[in-house]
Amino acid sequence: MALQKVGVRMRRLAFLLITVIAGVGVVFGVGAYFAQSAPAVQAAEVKGTAPGPNGTEVPHAFISMESYPDSMQGFHGADGGAHPDWVTFGPQTSFEVPANSLVTVTVTQYDGGETITNSYFAKVHGTVDNMATLNGEPFNEIPADAVGHTFTLRGIPSPSQPALFVSVPLLMANEENVGDNGYPVPNIVTFSFYTGGPGLYFWNCEFPCGDGTLANFGGPMSSLGYMAGTFTVK
Amino acid sequence: MAIQTQEHTSGSAPSNARAGGALMSRMNLVTAIIGGLIVMFAAHYLAAAFFVMPVLEGDAENPSGLGWLIDNRITLTTMFGWVLGFMLGIGAFNGPVRWVLGKDLTDADSLFLAGKDQGVGRYFRFTTDHKVVGIQYLIITMTLLGVGGTVAMMIRTNLMTPHSAFLGPTTYNTFVGMHGIIMIIATIIMVTGPFGNFILPIMIGARDMAFPRLNALSFWLIASVVPVLLSVPFLGGMPTGWTAYNPLASQGPVGMDGFIVTIIVFAVSSAVAGANITTTAVKMRTRGMTWTRTPIFVYGVVASVGLAIPAFPTFMAAQVLSGLDRGVGTSFYTAEDGGSGWLYANLFWLMGHPEVYVILIPAVAALLELTPVFTRKPLFSFKAAVIAIAGIVGLSVLVWAHHMYISGWAPKLGGPFMLTTEMISIPTGLLFLVFIGTMWRGRIWTRLPMMAVYAMLWNFVIGGVTGVYLSDIPVDEAMHGSMFVTAHFHYTLMGVALTGTMGALVFWFSKMTGRMFNERIGFWGFWIVQIGFNVTFLGMFMVGFAGQPRRVFNYSEMFANGNFVSTMGAYTIFIGMLIFLYTIISSWRGGEIASANPWNAKTLEWQVPTPVPLENFDVLPIITSDPYGYGRPTSEPKEGASR
Amino acid sequence: MADTALHETQESPAAGKRWWQRPEVRAIFIIWLILTIIGEALAWVPAWLMGTSASEQMDEIKQTMTAFTAFAAPVATLVWAAMIYSLAKWRYKGDTPPPDDAPGFTTNTPSIMLWVIASGVLTMIVFIWGLLKIAAIPAAGALALTSTNAGPPIEIQVTGNQWVWNFTYPELGNIQSDVLYLPVDRTAVFNVTSVDVIHSFWIVEMGVKVDANPGEIAKTQVLSHSLGTYDVRCAELCGLFHGAMETQAKVVTQAEFDAWAADEGAFVPVGPVAAEGGE
Repeated sequence: MALQKVGVRMRRLAFLLITVIAGVGVVFGVGAYFAQSAPAVQAAEVKGTAPGPNGTEVPHAFISMESYPDSMQGFHGADGGAHPDWVTFGPQTSFEVPANSLVTVTVTQYDGGETITNSYFAKVHGTVDNMATLNGEPFNEIPADAVGHTFTLRGIPSPSQPALFVSVPLLMANEENVGDNGYPVPNIVTFSFYTGGPGLYFWNCEFPCGDGTLANFGGPMSSLGYMAGTFTVK
Repeated sequence: MAIQTQEHTSGSAPSNARAGGALMSRMNLVTAIIGGLIVMFAAHYLAAAFFVMPVLEGDAENPSGLGWLIDNRITLTTMFGWVLGFMLGIGAFNGPVRWVLGKDLTDADSLFLAGKDQGVGRYFRFTTDHKVVGIQYLIITMTLLGVGGTVAMMIRTNLMTPHSAFLGPTTYNTFVGMHGIIMIIATIIMVTGPFGNFILPIMIGARDMAFPRLNALSFWLIASVVPVLLSVPFLGGMPTGWTAYNPLASQGPVGMDGFIVTIIVFAVSSAVAGANITTTAVKMRTRGMTWTRTPIFVYGVVASVGLAIPAFPTFMAAQVLSGLDRGVGTSFYTAEDGGSGWLYANLFWLMGHPEVYVILIPAVAALLELTPVFTRKPLFSFKAAVIAIAGIVGLSVLVWAHHMYISGWAPKLGGPFMLTTEMISIPTGLLFLVFIGTMWRGRIWTRLPMMAVYAMLWNFVIGGVTGVYLSDIPVDEAMHGSMFVTAHFHYTLMGVALTGTMGALVFWFSKMTGRMFNERIGFWGFWIVQIGFNVTFLGMFMVGFAGQPRRVFNYSEMFANGNFVSTMGAYTIFIGMLIFLYTIISSWRGGEIASANPWNAKTLEWQVPTPVPLENFDVLPIITSDPYGYGRPTSEPKEGASR
Repeated sequence: MADTALHETQESPAAGKRWWQRPEVRAIFIIWLILTIIGEALAWVPAWLMGTSASEQMDEIKQTMTAFTAFAAPVATLVWAAMIYSLAKWRYKGDTPPPDDAPGFTTNTPSIMLWVIASGVLTMIVFIWGLLKIAAIPAAGALALTSTNAGPPIEIQVTGNQWVWNFTYPELGNIQSDVLYLPVDRTAVFNVTSVDVIHSFWIVEMGVKVDANPGEIAKTQVLSHSLGTYDVRCAELCGLFHGAMETQAKVVTQAEFDAWAADEGAFVPVGPVAAEGGE
């Protein structure tokens, strides 16, 4: 009789453990399902060195990106993926750059544009000398009614993650001047900025191009992989 | 179809020869799902065909601008189609249609509807017996709490480290909103649903609720809308928290429509349930049960649904306008075209504040109901308890703009709202006195339901005091939108309301399931939850004080330690809840068979046998005193007449 | 159900004693006293957890936190003292319901009156404290622009965009910045708005917060008193990168501020003047 009781208790304990393990398993499963799949990351190419902010030489890293008026160029799948009509950056929107270096970004901008709501973003901020290059010519501001997209980068400043703010407007392409690939002839914008210590930063386009949504900031504007992405300084 | 005779012999053979149920006998959850799918696909097809993109000429501004309106229209129509089809399939419309056709239900039909002789099948049908509806509510509440809790584990895992890449911002924001609304719905129904339905009619000496079919309707409306709500993460998610602030909600993908539809349907369910419960409590108390002899739990439930009746329609209105903005292109909430986000905020918080008392009052009332049983003393000042509940209800409709102190809407109204908000602490404090007075010099039988009272008192003090901090406008200027607020409302909604519900469940478990809740194991589950809970949210107060905002997928490293502690606490809650869940299931399936009145309590539900007969009472009782006659020097009978 | 005073039935160790002589009242009083002393001794903790203060407003807020904790401690500890004593002295341990009932008193009017009056008084104290603080903190109530010794108030436009703050200084020729520069000891008046959804402008260490609403301008102000770099965060969920919508507030000397303003103001636009074939 006592042995029976022990058996009952052991059984109870076993089922209790099973319930707990099953519950944890369910949470694990849900977590695995919803976990963000690691996005394709473009690691910056380090080529040589450049003068740093304090005069010393720092590594010189290069990244490149393109921006398009739709998603048909193949970054999101053969037929444009889930949202073929969404504007997009590419080929990747996640970048990895070295810490304490000079990063040069080249953006090939194929999309048209319009007037931007906040003209602050029509100016260049946070780059070396607050300048950038448009098709080889230096600039620090573009007309507020000719903005195609912007590249705006920021993170959470903290003692262990330095503040980093970069915003560069990308001039709209002339939609009547169609190039070989079916898209307008692009404007090529290049800019450079210094990275400090390691950190995780986020960038997005600040030109409202999520057509039809409130403030034109929905849709691709609010989606990683299209008009927003991450920027890891390692 | 309320059965109100003094005597009723159940099972009397009707003159109609056919078996009860008619069409209803074939309608159940399966037909509901089938109906839902059919109407959903039909609605989707028709909507997609009808709502097409007009060919816009010369609209250089916004060629694809209408795309999102079309998407929202199609989604909203599809989702309402599902709900309609589901309700058709479960047989919700059978009664009204038959009534219009002049073919009302026979006696056998009503007995069938009440679940007579159907075994487990009655839980999957449009059954009107309040005891069945109570169990159905219990199951759906536990399901919602489980899903909401799982989502909470996702959130806390993401917050374990400052720069987590676990969920990504879109999914994280969606989960924050989902966790919030799932838990809000679950906590609204968690006492009123299971216990308000199962226990309350027996407690007042009635055979069922005033409107049994409306009772079933209120449950199945919620059941119909759970899949809609759970589809949100798969439809692009929702960018807002559960408060669904506009104009951000306007910007969101079609997942946001799932939220809108859920709330609209839920508001109907609450209104229906509210009308039912109020009428039942007012009109169906048995003979001799005057208001001074009515158990305090009844007051609590009635106060809660009475508060919900004016509050939830504003929630519904807020979502209807949001749906119109999203689907039709109106601009109720868009400033650019003459609307205002403040309209939404006001409509929302007009509901949002009373709503937390809708959640809190029944749980506290349930604990007020069980404390005399476990202290063997009358409830200390029944009148004070009633006045306190009435005071909370009255004041709660006057405080909503304390959620909007820093919104810029009406700075000059800050003072008056601060006053009304701080005044709520007076009736709330009175409830504390009632608890302490009931415990004073009592014979405190520390079974698990009574332990819940202690846990609740600890949590309520912390939750209440932190609420006073937030009511102060300058402090709110620092604390609004920070994790401090999150910790405060978890202390009240989870530490008080959910804890009270767990106590209530253990208390009434034997009456509802026929078996005793295994307190040996349940004790561990309960207290592991309480310890984990306090660790989680005390840690959260710390990061809130230090300045961590709410609803952020990443945060500054300065908050790393506090968040790690909170996450560990959350995992602990989760383990405790799993143990508690196991206890519920194993006790239900194979626990010790319960006697009719294991607690030797005096309220009417404990005077009927377990399991409770279909019509509760053979003969309706006559009441001659209140149910708190413990230790009374006079020897008046506690209640009248027969068993 | 007659309202009776406390019955003396059955075992009555308290028979004949005044209420404050009763053993349970004495014991609970002592427990309460000990807990309250501990509570009051810890009343500084919430304000300490709130970190540094960079403005008068934050000082007032931290003071309020300490004061409210001090007011609340005796109430909390009274409840907890009663709970502790009840478990120590009035507990029944057994598997079956207690065989006999406890003293059946149903009410005690003096204690109820005392409780309600005391909570009413406490509420009034807290409310009046709040009103006084609102009067002392211009940002929380009526906005009286105050000049200080260091100079007149400075006006700053704060614009919330989906997911970046930017600041415009109209008095300095509309220079713009992503970092909020403030000259120390001068009142800063913020006109806060948004270009898209509702954000909330929050300078954490200064205890200043107001929503940024599209189509509306919400005003607030602060007087910063300490040099340093502080956190500006968004306190209202505004979409994808709400969690990254942070920047810094730098409180600097007037000289440093003027130097920065000159630097920003020295902006000379370079670049394409006309759009290339617009829409």
